[in-house]
Amino acid sequence: MRADVPEKLPDKFVNQELKNIDYPDDEKNVTINGVDYLQSQAPVGKFGGELVISTIGEGPKTFNPCNTKDATSSSMAGLMYDGLLTTNPRSGKVVPLLAKSFEIDENDYTIHLRHGVKWSDGKPITADDVMYTFEEIVFKGFGNPSTMDAMMVDGKLPELVKIDDYTVKFTTPRPFAPFLRQLTYPIVPKHYFKPYSDKGESVFNAFLSPDTPPKTIVSNGAFRLKEYVAAQRVVFERNPDYYKINLKGEKLPYLNKLVYMIVGDTNNEILKFEAKEVDVLSLRGSNVARYKLKEPDSDYTIYNLGPDTGTLFLVINLNNRKDKNGKPYVNPTKHSWFANRDFRAAIDWALDRKNMVQNIASGVAEPLFTAESLNSIYLNNYIKGHPCNPNVSRESLVKAGFVNRDGILYDKDGNRVEFDLYTNAGNLEREALGVMVKQDLEDLGMKVNFKPVEFNSLVNKLTNTHDWDMAIMGLTGSPLEPHDGKNVWTSKGSLHMFNMRPSDYKVDDRLDWEKEIDDIFREGALKLSFEERKPLYDRYQTIIYNQKPIIYLYSPTRITAIRKKFKNIFPTPLSGLIYNLDEIYVD
Amino acid sequence: MEFFKYISKRILQVIPLLIIVSLISFFIIRLSPVDPLAELRLNPSISKETLDKEIKRLNLDKPIYVQYFSWAKSFVKGDLGYTSAGEKVSTKLKERIPNTLLLTTIVIFMTWIVGLPLGVLAAVRKETALDRILTVVSSIGMAIPSFFFAILMLIFAVKTGWFPVGGLTSYNFNEMSFVGKFVDISKHLVLPVIVLFTISLSGLQRQMRANMLEVLDSDYVKFARAKGLSEGKVIFKHALRNAINPMITLLGFEFAGLLSGAALTEYVFQYPGLGRLILEAVMKSDINLVMASLMMGTIMLILGNLIADILLMITDPRLRGRG
Amino acid sequence: MEVIKKIFQDKFAKAAFIILLALYVIILLADFIAPYSNTYSNRDMSYAPPSKIYTIDENGNYSRPYTYNYIREYEPALMQTVFKQDRSHKYYLRLFPKGEGYKFLGLIPTHRHLFGTAEKGGQLYLLGTDINGRDVFSRLLFGGRISMTVGFLSLLVVFPIGLLYGGISGYFGGIVDTLMMRFAEAIMAIPSFYLLIILAAILPSGMTSVQRFALIVVILALIGWAGFARVVRGMVLSIKKEDFVQAEKTIGASNLRIILKHILPQTTSYVIIAMTLSVPSYILAESGLSFLGLGIQQPDASWGNMLKEAQEFTNILYRPWLLTPGLLIFIAVLSFNLLGDAIRDILDPKSRAGKGIR
Repeated sequence: MRADVPEKLPDKFVNQELKNIDYPDDEKNVTINGVDYLQSQAPVGKFGGELVISTIGEGPKTFNPCNTKDATSSSMAGLMYDGLLTTNPRSGKVVPLLAKSFEIDENDYTIHLRHGVKWSDGKPITADDVMYTFEEIVFKGFGNPSTMDAMMVDGKLPELVKIDDYTVKFTTPRPFAPFLRQLTYPIVPKHYFKPYSDKGESVFNAFLSPDTPPKTIVSNGAFRLKEYVAAQRVVFERNPDYYKINLKGEKLPYLNKLVYMIVGDTNNEILKFEAKEVDVLSLRGSNVARYKLKEPDSDYTIYNLGPDTGTLFLVINLNNRKDKNGKPYVNPTKHSWFANRDFRAAIDWALDRKNMVQNIASGVAEPLFTAESLNSIYLNNYIKGHPCNPNVSRESLVKAGFVNRDGILYDKDGNRVEFDLYTNAGNLEREALGVMVKQDLEDLGMKVNFKPVEFNSLVNKLTNTHDWDMAIMGLTGSPLEPHDGKNVWTSKGSLHMFNMRPSDYKVDDRLDWEKEIDDIFREGALKLSFEERKPLYDRYQTIIYNQKPIIYLYSPTRITAIRKKFKNIFPTPLSGLIYNLDEIYVD
Repeated sequence: MEFFKYISKRILQVIPLLIIVSLISFFIIRLSPVDPLAELRLNPSISKETLDKEIKRLNLDKPIYVQYFSWAKSFVKGDLGYTSAGEKVSTKLKERIPNTLLLTTIVIFMTWIVGLPLGVLAAVRKETALDRILTVVSSIGMAIPSFFFAILMLIFAVKTGWFPVGGLTSYNFNEMSFVGKFVDISKHLVLPVIVLFTISLSGLQRQMRANMLEVLDSDYVKFARAKGLSEGKVIFKHALRNAINPMITLLGFEFAGLLSGAALTEYVFQYPGLGRLILEAVMKSDINLVMASLMMGTIMLILGNLIADILLMITDPRLRGRG
Repeated sequence: MEVIKKIFQDKFAKAAFIILLALYVIILLADFIAPYSNTYSNRDMSYAPPSKIYTIDENGNYSRPYTYNYIREYEPALMQTVFKQDRSHKYYLRLFPKGEGYKFLGLIPTHRHLFGTAEKGGQLYLLGTDINGRDVFSRLLFGGRISMTVGFLSLLVVFPIGLLYGGISGYFGGIVDTLMMRFAEAIMAIPSFYLLIILAAILPSGMTSVQRFALIVVILALIGWAGFARVVRGMVLSIKKEDFVQAEKTIGASNLRIILKHILPQTTSYVIIAMTLSVPSYILAESGLSFLGLGIQQPDASWGNMLKEAQEFTNILYRPWLLTPGLLIFIAVLSFNLLGDAIRDILDPKSRAGKGIR
């Protein structure tokens, strides 16, 4: 089978600590009494007990798996509804889940379903549910239409036919690598959903809102909803008739209950962990030291999962367009600096990433130079980065025609170099970063007006009003699929912050390297194997590193603590600590 | 008849007030550069089509006055609309109102039980050591930033293990017996109540002291004293009643005041109340939610004042028929 | 003068008065008293603990006060940063050493500070440093400039508006009064804290810190004026019935003149009381705004935004020096309250004034 991930993950990918973990083999299909079970190969555990985790924010906004637009809602809906396929947490390969198996032949993807698997109300899960999910929800763009857009090849959707009650076949218009991963989309019960989707989209969107009585919900995941208490918690209980079994043939999951505590911020999460009200805590910055120190005589274990998918960066506004009134978004003088590659390089070389990591992340992070996050399998390993060296910056500025007089930097027309630097206010980490970036750049003679603004206002600036110079922001990448970054990197993407074009923009004023990146993303999506795609995505990272519209700063390291009483914990850099909720048990 | 005329007049006065409040708040919020879709926009896996759909759904592509009228129209019909995340505003409010009422009622009850006697005591013992101490102690309560006090209390809870860290109920609340449930909720309430109590006690105590001093200085108290009534009788029979009357007016304000004054405390304690809900909504410019809560706050304030006025009329015959 | 004399007769009020006076003198002379400037930062000294000052040397003899610099070390195994004293070199302290340049009282350029290390390269962090390696003690002084003045400046905006609005409304009465009071009530009906947040969030983001500070002042004022105007109106209503106002009217004095010259001066004692009692609520409001990230922004310091940094769990446990802004807010607010109480008792023992915008 062709795969979009390498046969074996690169060695540096797995850190030392995780190498000692004895991972179980991959799950197998087992048929007992005509039911196609999925058998976990993890050690057999005990039934019962509960796991309490926290979720930061306001809690789920919907349990409708087709309408989730935020991480909390989709992870909770994901517990309740399984997709046909899933991502193997260790290798990153796409493997069957609700589907028993699948075959790919050119553009045909044939999916075989499990026999004997049921919805929580006892009705069998069949090809009709799959047909319904895709034809009447996904392809109609109901709920969150992002999956529909991701499945679209040249403006065309794949075809879907039902072969028999337990087999369906997708056919894409032409080879399209990211398609397979889209089949992780949750499958929903036709008999339960159809009455609502038939009433139109607004009814469908309100369907399965958090206040839905839990007993009425029909689902198929490892856990089902037991209770939702607004702004406090969501409680799930085990699905007694789940299709996954352990080595003894007993039905998983082990845990009786899974509780999500809704907490407002990380501070509260830490306090709750300290008070033993939650069992898992992800640690950042200076907190790590405290818990590391106390670990030996505590009831928790700390795992280092390696670099996070999150990135922090400085983005420069290269926009040279004008607003409706003919006023340029960016002052033309400033634009002439920002558009100069040497100017951007000068900034890059002046940034003291080492001390940023040391002071702001308390050493629990790694400097970053690439557009792909450090745990991406597509990371360009040839980009080694560079140390901070203001002398290189100064040379670079001289080359670009800037003059430094008495410590003040002027451009070749004698304008003082002065610009605004934004970040979102109230975020201690980014504010402190801003202070450091300001100092580093002012050492070059620039004048930096550092302006933390409210988060939602900042995003408005970046994506709507375009009236900003530079900003410190963060994004989350995907470790497996670089194509997910297309909204950021392709010239018409909705997050192409550094050179944002209005959605109805017709003029082709792409910079040469923007054009090349557009081509890379188009081509990369059509190539099917990892080996074919890697050079392309390597190239895009090289372009970004050379052109520096976005200057990467660092990537935090993921450190997570979990109580020792929980067993079957097999952390992986790709999926984190507690991805296998159906295998975890309490000892 | 006079009485009903007065009430209906007061209720009619509410309407222009609501219109002004809604206009002011709506325009301020909508003119702000805060983007209610910011989180979606920054999510790389959300496509442009999703965003366009959301903009349409939230009416963000229409001029402000159109947005206002469509909001006002459904508000009058009793439809509070949907939050920017797509949940029903009315459900969200319904989830939170009982919690806020619980917390607010306890805090107001306690501050009155403690604050009034302390105020009377300070006034009666005016300019003695006791009065000074009471003033200083209540000033201390006023001097701590509420969020900071709340954070310190949370750390106290963690360190001692005596109280749960925030929230209103434990995760296994539903499996508890009735007594267990009662104990659980009480335990969760202790710390937020302490914080809000400390902060609002001082104002009430001072107000009561001032009222009492004024009454004690009035002619009829002097007259009562001159008649040779005992000091206790003067204070409890004549002075106290008249000093409490103006406090009833305060009750209305206090109720609405706690709605906003408790926001930071609720936020730090992760208390599932209205204050925190509104705070989060305001920060995200979630217009339907903010407007619904502001309207509710305004109505609560007006109702509070109205009830206070009616109470006053009942307790104080002199005011009857005046309006 | 009479008032000050009376304040000094009251122990608490006297203490409060002296503390406030001292605070204002200190922040006025912040550049001189602080060993470091507002923008100073030492990258290698992020979260350094307070410098220890010794007056007895290692042999047990009395010595001129001295301190040691810190060295920062990182232990990768524990992911921990530790600070050790560099015992190899003593840095003696002295008065009036040369430091970063500034203008004394904004006029006289100088390099002298009140105290510091005699030798260059010495570190003197009386209250440790923050995440960016900035001296907390120095920033407290500069932050005080903002926190301690924001309230007074707001009052400068509130009072003219409130006095005039209340004055006009009360003086003319009738339909003018009704309309004006309905509007003021509408403003008051919006819970002030949310109004504050909404307004702070719409501040145009392209502002310098000075402009932002000014606008926060204006916003605080916009919220405070309505309640004040209402009280003034009530007072005006009763004052205008008095004989001397009626007399002025018969002479034919203009309305504005009567309001400004005869009616408003009668409200002076109320104004003074309301002023001292509402300053603390503005200090608290600024800290609340900063807690939400809407107050004074980095890199400028205010007690509110410094306290925000302190509220993280590990900071409270391990870096208690970051809590000092909270202590200062507490002291300042308490002093204002005590002083306000005393002034009220002196000027107007029966007054009901006692409510700020809280």
